[in-house]
Amino acid sequence: MAWIVKNSATMKIDRREQPWLDDALKAELEANVLPSYPTKQAATLPVLHAVQHKHNWIPLQAIEEVADFLGLSHAQVMDTATFYEDFWLKPKGKYLIMVCQSITCELMGQVGLLERIKAKLGIDVGQTTQDGRFTLMAAECLGSCDTAPVALVNEKLYESITATNFERILDDLE
Amino acid sequence: MPLAEPILCKRIPTPPWGDPRDRALVTLDQYLETDGYQALRQAVKTDPKDVIDLVKASELRGRGGAGFPAGMKWSFLPPEDGDRRYLAINCDEAEPGTFKDRMIVDFDPHILLEGIAICMHACRLDTAYIYIRGEYHAQAKTLQHAVAEAYKYSVFGKDSILGQINGRDPQCYVHRGAGAYICGEETALLESLEGKRGWPRIKPPFPAVEGAFARPTIINNVETLAMVGPIVLKGADWFKSMGTQRPEGAPPTVPASFGPKLYGVSGHVNRPGVYEDELGITLSELIENHCGGMRNGKKFKAAIPGGISMGILGTDQYDAKLDFDIGKAYGCLGLGTAGVIVMDEDTDIVAATRNIVRFFAHESCGQCTPCREGTAWMYKLLTRIENGGGTTNDLDLLLELAGSMGSMPGTTICGLADGANWAVRTILNKFRGDFEKRVRKQRYVSLPVAATR
Repeated sequence: MAWIVKNSATMKIDRREQPWLDDALKAELEANVLPSYPTKQAATLPVLHAVQHKHNWIPLQAIEEVADFLGLSHAQVMDTATFYEDFWLKPKGKYLIMVCQSITCELMGQVGLLERIKAKLGIDVGQTTQDGRFTLMAAECLGSCDTAPVALVNEKLYESITATNFERILDDLE
Repeated sequence: MPLAEPILCKRIPTPPWGDPRDRALVTLDQYLETDGYQALRQAVKTDPKDVIDLVKASELRGRGGAGFPAGMKWSFLPPEDGDRRYLAINCDEAEPGTFKDRMIVDFDPHILLEGIAICMHACRLDTAYIYIRGEYHAQAKTLQHAVAEAYKYSVFGKDSILGQINGRDPQCYVHRGAGAYICGEETALLESLEGKRGWPRIKPPFPAVEGAFARPTIINNVETLAMVGPIVLKGADWFKSMGTQRPEGAPPTVPASFGPKLYGVSGHVNRPGVYEDELGITLSELIENHCGGMRNGKKFKAAIPGGISMGILGTDQYDAKLDFDIGKAYGCLGLGTAGVIVMDEDTDIVAATRNIVRFFAHESCGQCTPCREGTAWMYKLLTRIENGGGTTNDLDLLLELAGSMGSMPGTTICGLADGANWAVRTILNKFRGDFEKRVRKQRYVSLPVAATR
């Protein structure tokens, strides 16, 4: 939910020497992303996407680095990053499974499917497996209602899934 | 009367003209072979004002949900002042039941890019941002690739077919969202484009005057812009030969429902998918002619005409005409995106309502209290009713709550709460029996609606 307040005032920031937004990534963003926008702030979303793409999540230290890179206050980037559900401010599994739970998918039997996936992975929605491989989320409409039920695994959309074939898909993942 | 030939689906195999299994990405070369970018070449030879007048004359209405006449939107722009002006393309398709824009982007992205270029020429806009939702990973890549092809073909960039606009080379960029339904609201989209949280803005100023980066901005849906090319090629009269006329006796200022429309059908039908037909076909025609009838031979119970914000069509409204006047005629909010969700006789309407309200409770941006709190409380009430703990007064409370939130009662900035409000009110009005069965089972003592005064 977009408007849940995070305890950003008292959150502890884990720091490390090595920057999350390193020089190579900065150079790439400066060349390919920043020129597309009239203001630096407008690049916030693409830069956060780039950081998350590289590290699989966005640590708080990275938010500070993004803010410094874009000439914004840390709070401004925090404000944006906490609003969007695609941005993970805590680590997630190697595979993020997002099972669509919106109306058409529920009409087509998503509830039973989600239960089977939960049972298979031994986790509840919002949790990550012990080995850090899978994070399970229930997502709102993924925009593929004609092939409901659907689930997104990282960037790949699986359509018309059944519990059995989706279990096999999960088994086949590295 | 069915459409004589496919228009937006010209290059995308769609029944009855083709098999959806043959769908494949139309590359630039294939696009050019089939009259691709001819409309753009014709448009750039025409005075920009005449292009706007043509779109105005065609009475093309926005396909993104609100149905606002596109030509009129374009004419709201202030005169040029030499500084930047923007086009934002709304591809943040997140309304449950809607997947038509995904089909265009998946298979024929150039029809969209051509429409974008024509709009940039007509409205003198130098920079276009295609705002695509974060969950559309593959589609964003397809678009990126198509945009690169278009740059190579000089649609955008240096030495563009468009020439210089506002003293600049026209540019087109793909901007990815990050999983927020509210960013499909036009001003929230602009906020998100500017790198902020997607909170809708108070209007006025309208985006045409002060939009992205406080500059004049036009925001159009993917399907609307894709429709512009065919209109430029074939003319306004051709476009107006399809669809339905304005209601009898209505003045010419009332927009009619002309042209073809993409209908995305999902739910309990045999062949769900995106189909193209004239505006004004009936729901029964859509289900029986295009979708192969109801799944498993079941009976029709209800349908949502255009994304869950638009309310519901009842069992007796199987023959409802799907055009922009559907709202008044059949007691729902409107045609919306024409993403039709069909439910059969076995559907639990209470559970469906709970699902719909959960969506709005989840996606409310939290800016306005009636929406943030109202949707959450409606979700709690509906969960209680679904689990058998509801009372008859809960139903009245639901109606009271729903009626108090939204931009139409004037309590919120944007229309998200109106979606929740109309969904709940129309479902409760048309299927009150289903709800009463649930609550009557329980022998709860009814409490007054307002317990403490």
